[in-house]
Amino acid sequence: MKNVKLVLFVILMGMAVSHAQNKQLLYDFYEIPQSLILNPGVKTPYKWHTGIPVLSGFSFQVGTSGVTVNDLFAEDGIDFTTKFRDKVINSLSQNDDFGYSGQLEIFNAGFRSVKNPKDYYSFGAYGEGFASIFWPKDLAILAFEGNANNLNRRFDFNDLSTQGEAVSVLHFGINRKVNDKWTIGARAKIYSSVYEFKSTSNSGYFVTTQGEDNILRNTVVADVTMRTSGVEEILDIIDDDTGSTQADLAKLLLSRSLFGGNLGLGFDLGFTHKLNENSFLTASLLDLGFIYHTKDIKNYTLNGAASNEGIEIRLPEDLTNLSNDIWQDLVDDFERLIPFETNDESYISLRPIKLNVSYRYNFGQQRDKPENCDCGIKPVNRTENFDYKNALGAHLFVINRPRGPQAALTAFYQKRLGKVLALKTTYTADKYTLTNIGLGLNLQVGPINFYILGDNLLGYQNIPASNYASLQFGFNIISWNGN
Amino acid sequence: MKNLVFCVFLIAIILGVLSSCADDQNFEQFDDLSVEPTVASSIFYFESDEATINFAGSGAFYSEVFTFEAFNEAFVSENVLDGVITYEVENTTTKELNITIDFLDADGNVLDSEFFAIQPAPAAILERQIAYGDTGRSLDILRNTTNIRVRGDNVGDATSTSSLSEPKIILRSSAEFRLKLR
Repeated sequence: MKNVKLVLFVILMGMAVSHAQNKQLLYDFYEIPQSLILNPGVKTPYKWHTGIPVLSGFSFQVGTSGVTVNDLFAEDGIDFTTKFRDKVINSLSQNDDFGYSGQLEIFNAGFRSVKNPKDYYSFGAYGEGFASIFWPKDLAILAFEGNANNLNRRFDFNDLSTQGEAVSVLHFGINRKVNDKWTIGARAKIYSSVYEFKSTSNSGYFVTTQGEDNILRNTVVADVTMRTSGVEEILDIIDDDTGSTQADLAKLLLSRSLFGGNLGLGFDLGFTHKLNENSFLTASLLDLGFIYHTKDIKNYTLNGAASNEGIEIRLPEDLTNLSNDIWQDLVDDFERLIPFETNDESYISLRPIKLNVSYRYNFGQQRDKPENCDCGIKPVNRTENFDYKNALGAHLFVINRPRGPQAALTAFYQKRLGKVLALKTTYTADKYTLTNIGLGLNLQVGPINFYILGDNLLGYQNIPASNYASLQFGFNIISWNGN
Repeated sequence: MKNLVFCVFLIAIILGVLSSCADDQNFEQFDDLSVEPTVASSIFYFESDEATINFAGSGAFYSEVFTFEAFNEAFVSENVLDGVITYEVENTTTKELNITIDFLDADGNVLDSEFFAIQPAPAAILERQIAYGDTGRSLDILRNTTNIRVRGDNVGDATSTSSLSEPKIILRSSAEFRLKLR
């Protein structure tokens, strides 16, 4: 029972994957080196930087779509089953999703090329994971109500869509200031999958109709697949439940994190384009890549079609050839027509591609702004890049999801208070919430850089009633250009 | 001045965050969740043409025991709360017929029996619903049923033939069970 509660709680407190990937506060906040991860073509005003290992970047996001913890678990005196029926069964659609996500930077560093100062190289490693499940509306109604009062209703297996993974990523990127107007960047990534499960693009249905001969006819048409890699071995260790379970599990996960898992390759691309003295257009395309799963694979399939109107006895045909084991024959026929099978076939999973586009307008009196001397390409210097006192802009984020692209639109305002403090506030609208106000703070004390970014602050008024919350923070050491 | 306004705005937001709170939540409520779907399916279908009945003569024209373990499958027997079995009998033959359905346990003991006396055509379709559970017969009948015996008896003549197209005796059946999933 505790496990069931835990699963339910995790699901309800989990976050939609699109939230996990949308880091609108960090995007183009180029005082923070981690902004390079979101756009390899962002401005890089650093001579070099290094994150403090394990502390340089941590993010965790929770949220729900369609229902909140408070909707169900508030002490409101309403019968829980009634609340569950009203808020979940009758309210959620198959496009509502739940999950959780987190990212931990292991290390992150960068340096400007001595030979070619317009180039900035960065590299590092991080681990990230997420799980998401789209609400299986039809199957939930079938489980909650049954089929007796739902004759002729097709319970669609397409509603079954879930995926999750943990992956470690080793990356190397190059950022180049091409000229005064263009900065471009690219990043190569090697993925090492710790585990993955994925069941998307399912089809089929279950329906109960009036029978042709008998009273009712149940029909199942199924094309359902669940692919897993790296899961079986983890489950085996947990099932064994020996005294060394934790150590064995840690050893396995560490081994896979250090590129002993299923490997993949990916790329990020991005640019910053100066439209005029105060206007900038940026864009990035992230995780154009794949993971090739060959180890510890176990795939589950349910594929076929069958209809049934119960046991049939027809005379005279069955006078002589009817088996007495007619029930088992019926079961065997069903399993033959819709076999539930497993296999260990390798497969390729594409990474969820993400697109960021932003427009930014700087305004306000600028201090220490260099003259536009038209004197050739130089590395970006700190004062040139932190020329803004204020910046306004918009940011579009799109992620490719199993049910099609999902977008989030952000308006932001950014302000610098001297060389020490930079603040950014955002308003984001997406399918999950229209009241997402975020706030980011970047503090620079000497070479020490600290940042903290919080999302959906209005939700903190009553956290269980919030659909979404996120927090990112980290420490870096930065040496700036011109220092 | 602008910096002051911004700082006030910032402080307001930070105070808002610091004053975050959470309404009381009671996760024990999950224990009260009740999931009781009603599932429905046909059970068995029996038909015989009039020629077969005539060929057998008077008395039993069919009697057979076959396995039927739908009710005592663990998922059903452990979770069933109540249920209704519906029978429909349609006779387009010229015969007066009797059909008996016996529910048997693994040792062949009769746990329950349903008897249908069917008038010759033209006769209305006979429909009967048998409830099991608190307001009907014992659920243990269903839980322990592993075999069903179907017996058909001709209590009419063995020569007449209906003028209707394809005269038959047909017995249809279905079940609706309410299950306690949690």
